[in-house]
Amino acid sequence: MSPKTRIRRFSPLQRLFHLFLMLTFLTQASTGLARMFIETRWGKNLAGFFGGYETCRTIHIYVGIFMLCGFALHVVYVLSRIKWREFPRSLFGPDSLLLQFKDVKEFFLHIGWFLNFTRGPEFDRWGYWEKFDYWAVFWGIPVLGITGLLLAYPLSASQIMPGWALNIAFWIHRIEAILAMCHVFIIHFFIAHLRPHSFPMDQAMFAGSVDVDDARHERPTWIARLEHAGSLQSALVSEPSAAGRAIFYVFGYLAVATGVFLLIGGLVNARFITW
Amino acid sequence: MKRVMSTKLAVISVAGVLLLELLGLPALSPAQEEVASSIRRYKDREVSTGYYEEYEALPHRQRPLVEIPGVRRGVFPYSPAAAQVRSRTHLADSHQGIKFYENLRCQICHLNETTDIHTTRANLTCRQCHGGEPIASIDHLYSPLNPIRKHAYVCSKCHEGASASYASYVVHEPNPAMVGTRTSFPLLFYVFWLMVVLAVGTFLVFLPHTLMWGIRELFLKMKKE
Repeated sequence: MSPKTRIRRFSPLQRLFHLFLMLTFLTQASTGLARMFIETRWGKNLAGFFGGYETCRTIHIYVGIFMLCGFALHVVYVLSRIKWREFPRSLFGPDSLLLQFKDVKEFFLHIGWFLNFTRGPEFDRWGYWEKFDYWAVFWGIPVLGITGLLLAYPLSASQIMPGWALNIAFWIHRIEAILAMCHVFIIHFFIAHLRPHSFPMDQAMFAGSVDVDDARHERPTWIARLEHAGSLQSALVSEPSAAGRAIFYVFGYLAVATGVFLLIGGLVNARFITW
Repeated sequence: MKRVMSTKLAVISVAGVLLLELLGLPALSPAQEEVASSIRRYKDREVSTGYYEEYEALPHRQRPLVEIPGVRRGVFPYSPAAAQVRSRTHLADSHQGIKFYENLRCQICHLNETTDIHTTRANLTCRQCHGGEPIASIDHLYSPLNPIRKHAYVCSKCHEGASASYASYVVHEPNPAMVGTRTSFPLLFYVFWLMVVLAVGTFLVFLPHTLMWGIRELFLKMKKE
């Protein structure tokens, strides 16, 4: 048995939510871009992979509904994790993902560290960029989901609102989708995979754990808190097996490759489509 | 006596033939009369027929004051010779008086209307919605694209069950980024720019942030090595 050199960071259910999000997001990005770029050869080939222009729409709608169901389950999960007896104080604890004033402070300290002006902030369990990623998805899914449902079922939608509101829903859906894709494919992938500290890959979301020495270096407040509470030892876990790591790498880099392919294809072909 | 009878018969026959001929002639019309008011002429006759120069009398004024409620107010160029009316939203033939119309194609004048999803994705042609010649203005009372019947006559050809609300979807959507859209479709303009500011704002913060982070860690790694 390998020594326990890693600290548990995500529960199996949280990793399952991330896996679900990865697969559905990449499917939505691919089918959505295939339809958006259908006037170009790149878009036609991409749509052809999924069975054509109309099939892309069907997949996009049903996977979108599936995503909304997943989001509803996640909201139930979040509500079940809140310590209601200590509410609302529990919302502002160190394990909470809610944005707090210390995150703003850490953001500016971090910028200062980038520029070599200050010492780097000592992060707790969640960094401000991770909280931002979480809330970006949390707000993005309902925005994309609601506008997507309105556009997918326009006859029903126009019974509860004027038809011209579909013009507006279309642009909200399009810009929010572009924002989400660019953020994930550029910023999230860079931070999780390509920055020197994480390169070649941050396995935390797949293995569920991070190297304890790395965590001590990047998140000293979190480790100190666990040590102080005496719960560090119980949070330690073993290194995942070599086969497991190989699967994480192949799967993770397939996702990165898909994202980069969509990003470059979209940027190159953006000027050839009717906006 | 016999001659008188035959003369009467001949007169009656000629009169009968003349009366029958009268039945075949066009009905009497006030359009053939002198019309004192050019506005009345415009509204009652010319606007629906498109014929300006076949009247016996020309209008008194060459630039009459014509008001179309909710569309345009004030004097606008109109003359029987030029047969040109700029506001064409209520005409039976929206292209009336356009020179060499037969030789033109829709996109020569309506280029922006060919760049929406209905045209580029669904490959619809103009006539599939606007109908054949003469193409009525969309607000003309009998136009199939008049909002009172557009959903039933046009939209439901493809979108079965389309309602009047559904038909208010703006097919020829203005470019949401343009200043003109602030007047023609204000909500679209403001929502579009709100979303653009949100997206651009996110990248203005996080792109340099991420780049600086990467460079800083690279320097740190090089220093350690």
